[in-house]
Amino acid sequence: MRAGLGWRPEIGAAILAHSDRIDVVEVLAEDFVEATAQQRRALRTLASCIPVVIHATSLGLASTEPVDTAKLDAVARVIGWLQPESWSEHLAFVRAGEIEIGHLAAPPRNDETLEGLMRNVDVARRVTGSLPLLENVATLIDPPFSDYGEAEWLNLVVRATGTRLLLDLHNLHANATNFGFDARGVIASIDHRHIGAIHLAGGRCIEGKRILDDHLHAVPDEVFDLLAMVAANDATVIIERDGNYPPFAELLTELEHARSAAFSGAAVHG
Amino acid sequence: MPDLQRFLARLYTDDALRARFLAQPAAVARECGFDDADAERLATEIDAESLTLAARGYARKRAFNR
Repeated sequence: MRAGLGWRPEIGAAILAHSDRIDVVEVLAEDFVEATAQQRRALRTLASCIPVVIHATSLGLASTEPVDTAKLDAVARVIGWLQPESWSEHLAFVRAGEIEIGHLAAPPRNDETLEGLMRNVDVARRVTGSLPLLENVATLIDPPFSDYGEAEWLNLVVRATGTRLLLDLHNLHANATNFGFDARGVIASIDHRHIGAIHLAGGRCIEGKRILDDHLHAVPDEVFDLLAMVAANDATVIIERDGNYPPFAELLTELEHARSAAFSGAAVHG
Repeated sequence: MPDLQRFLARLYTDDALRARFLAQPAAVARECGFDDADAERLATEIDAESLTLAARGYARKRAFNR
């Protein structure tokens, strides 16, 4: 397996300084849609040292409305000049009509959303030249009119779109805690051949005994345990950290922990 | 049925609509064009505390992005 980090300017220098211990870097597409020539050169230089994948957040592919073509074109341009190994987006909607929600909203898990997702993924594939990996999102509200459970939904998405999953284990852990289902049961129900990459992150407890997926805390043990269950011996595992940065050695230790968990799971589950 | 995602987006971002929905969910859903059955389903399936927390989170994100 490969273990890597999300590229953030605050830890960019440390990532470069420890590139021998980082297998892959995930870049946020929207951070580079208006990149200068100098920034593009810098990112290409990074990609020549460490494999790079792109992660997008603005497209809202799991929408019943058509994907915003200007935003898709912008992401496609980044993919075009960076030539990453792969790119990914979320199973979320981020806008509806004229309303910008401001973040990733979990869509109702039903056939209407699935049809919109299929249309938007097909458009995205044609514009970018490749299918995105699709990431399960964390949510504080279980969307109404959801006819499918989490595992059934993820399996349907894979079958309907032909994509693979970017399985975010902290999102799964948070939703399992927030809505009282078994994250292990979801993992057991997913065909692991459909998992193209894995995200790890940390969050915090908020009122109502819910977990907020804020990416500001260390990856909790429960999430490493889920990683062991996935047996991700050939997966790409990315740790996302968006702030409240610890000494970089702690992030490197988390990467080692991820490698250990993935290998131990592979040894047990085969 | 009216566009569900559009309705949810309004609930997440429109404080006044959300406050009225939290007070009288089925009535506000009907007012927004949902029939009786769908309005009752929305009233049943949208947890008030979850909606409040989610909306607060989205508001923070919008403020941060500005």
